[in-house]
Amino acid sequence: MKQRFPLSYLLLPVLLLALLLPAGCGRDAGIQTVRVGVALYQQEDTFISTVAQNLELLAREEELARTIKMNLTLADGRGSQSTQNDQVDRFLAQGCDIICVNIVDRTAAAVIIDKAQAADVPVIFFNREPVMEDLARWEHAYYVGSKAEQAGRLQGGIVKNAWQADAAALDQNGDGVLQYVMLEGEPGHQDALLRTEYSIQTLTQDGIPVEKLANDTANWQRGQASLRMSQWLEEFHGQIDVVFANNDDMALGAIDACLSAGMDTASLPFIVGVDATPPALAAVAEGTLKGTVQNDAAGQAEKILDLIGAFIDGTPVEDAVELEDGKYAWLPYTTVTADNLDAFL
Amino acid sequence: MSKESKNLQETARAFGGAKRVGDILLNNALIIIMVIAVIYIAFRNQNFIKAASIINILAQTCAYLPVALGVGGCIVLTGTDLSAGRIVGLTACISASLLQAVTASSKMWVNLTPPPVLLVLVIAMVIGAAIGAFNGFFVAKFKLHPFIVTLASQLIIYTFLLLYMKAGNNGGMAISGLDKSYSDFITGCPQFIKNLTGGITIPNYVWISLLLTVVMWFIWNKTTFGKNMFALGANEEAARVSGVNVFATTVLVFALAGAMYAVTGFIEGARVASNTANTGLNYESDAIAACVIGGVSFVGGIGKIRGVVIGVLMLRLIFVGLNMVGVNQDLFYVIKGGIILFACALDMRKYLVKK
Repeated sequence: MKQRFPLSYLLLPVLLLALLLPAGCGRDAGIQTVRVGVALYQQEDTFISTVAQNLELLAREEELARTIKMNLTLADGRGSQSTQNDQVDRFLAQGCDIICVNIVDRTAAAVIIDKAQAADVPVIFFNREPVMEDLARWEHAYYVGSKAEQAGRLQGGIVKNAWQADAAALDQNGDGVLQYVMLEGEPGHQDALLRTEYSIQTLTQDGIPVEKLANDTANWQRGQASLRMSQWLEEFHGQIDVVFANNDDMALGAIDACLSAGMDTASLPFIVGVDATPPALAAVAEGTLKGTVQNDAAGQAEKILDLIGAFIDGTPVEDAVELEDGKYAWLPYTTVTADNLDAFL
Repeated sequence: MSKESKNLQETARAFGGAKRVGDILLNNALIIIMVIAVIYIAFRNQNFIKAASIINILAQTCAYLPVALGVGGCIVLTGTDLSAGRIVGLTACISASLLQAVTASSKMWVNLTPPPVLLVLVIAMVIGAAIGAFNGFFVAKFKLHPFIVTLASQLIIYTFLLLYMKAGNNGGMAISGLDKSYSDFITGCPQFIKNLTGGITIPNYVWISLLLTVVMWFIWNKTTFGKNMFALGANEEAARVSGVNVFATTVLVFALAGAMYAVTGFIEGARVASNTANTGLNYESDAIAACVIGGVSFVGGIGKIRGVVIGVLMLRLIFVGLNMVGVNQDLFYVIKGGIILFACALDMRKYLVKK
């Protein structure tokens, strides 16, 4: 058995070399093909998959409009930066013309930007904002997304309006203080930190007395949020006035926990989320979710496609998309409550 | 040997000729399939065999190699090591935190000027080896299966990691803003190599990884410790009777594995440059898969360094290659799983034939 291996090991490089020779022939002419690699941090994240679906939809439209072929390759990073880096390597090796990255770890963008720069392939980050210094490393690194603190302010605003309109309706134990729990996104994520900070700041700066009962991370996930909420319901029975969730998946998780604890729609605490994902909008319609903030999935996809279009045409990107500092394409957040729900359905 | 028996042997050889060809094909089936796949992919997408792509596969292979080299030793002892990923994570975060640039915006240890890079590598390896020795101690002393020991220790390490992330000035954030000396040491590429390759970068960690492979080959094949490891893996009682120090060998194998994970951690700290509590998660599964594909047998006492290298290379080839021909990413895992099953079935077949 021992002697059998070496021969075949020799075969591999020989064949590889033999294959190198005929390489380099031209690609078939005709319709222009644009290859776009899209690396997602976690495809099962409802918001991210909505953006991805929008991207695919718009890419099909773009194909028709421009009579080109747009090859959109999606890759799911499954929450691991090293997996995502490998995927980016593959995109670049594969000859992608543009890569879009929904980065796993916002502090790790420098590695990806350097790779893209070495291959001279523009890189568009979206929804998860890389650190500013990293983005400044190369002129063809862009960011499409929304300002996290605005989401926090608007989310706080929903609660503020409800409290100011009828404090007694929110105040379950009638002590005049707004008791809340906070379901946070993954630790260290800037959206999680900023949404948490600004939602509460919006309340305190208007002099509303608040008391934090508990906060914990649920990693943006519905299941984890439901678990945390069940524990809190037992621990603070009848005291929780408001549940802030950094995103809708977690808000829905909190609702799951409350409903399975035997509450009905009327006795639910005031639960708010961020993102306005389709299931969350359905929950707003039902009245279980009191409000959310629309993170514009379609808008993000549209801006990304606009940038891609500019690269294809070779026109200056500033003409196609309004950019701050030549890098940032910002999308506004919008408040969604039962009052204006119809506009979003 | 008598004349008749010689004749008999020759007839047997003639009969066995066809069977032997079949055996050779089967025993090398994976490599043959890999070669066919490479040819196919290369025809479908010529980017696959461009220098940049080959270097990419090589670099990715080298990045995942040390973990596999470490865990390979544990598998030779009929064990496994589930704590590999967390050790990678812990050592990556420690390395990165010690080597943050003075100017980093959120510095964990505010007053620390980055120490020499090699010193940090040694610190990481000592930490890795210590955790490995801890695993080995429980395996050897209490006769616990390594699966159980490392299942437990990876949880323990995770707590250390979480606490470390909150240490100093960090507060659970990702550790970023690495010192240039560190990034250059890992991902840099000296000018003379660029001149040789015609401008294509071969990152430095490739050389670190290749050096480790040579060192591990030497340890496995040329040292008493290596021989003891294989003897112990093949048959513990026999090894004990023939004077192998079972306790010391087990502890050393795990400590060596720990040190290997630490090198990966040190490399990943700058290569991926994402140092969070999730760094390194599940690295062990790829490493174990690579080992079994490469013929390091869970039966124990069987395995070769070159098998490990082939295993890691093969996994990377699959991932890069399938992507090249536009296979849906969701299907990657079924292919990977299939190859692991196929490889192990082949491996067991050899073993059953022996019996």
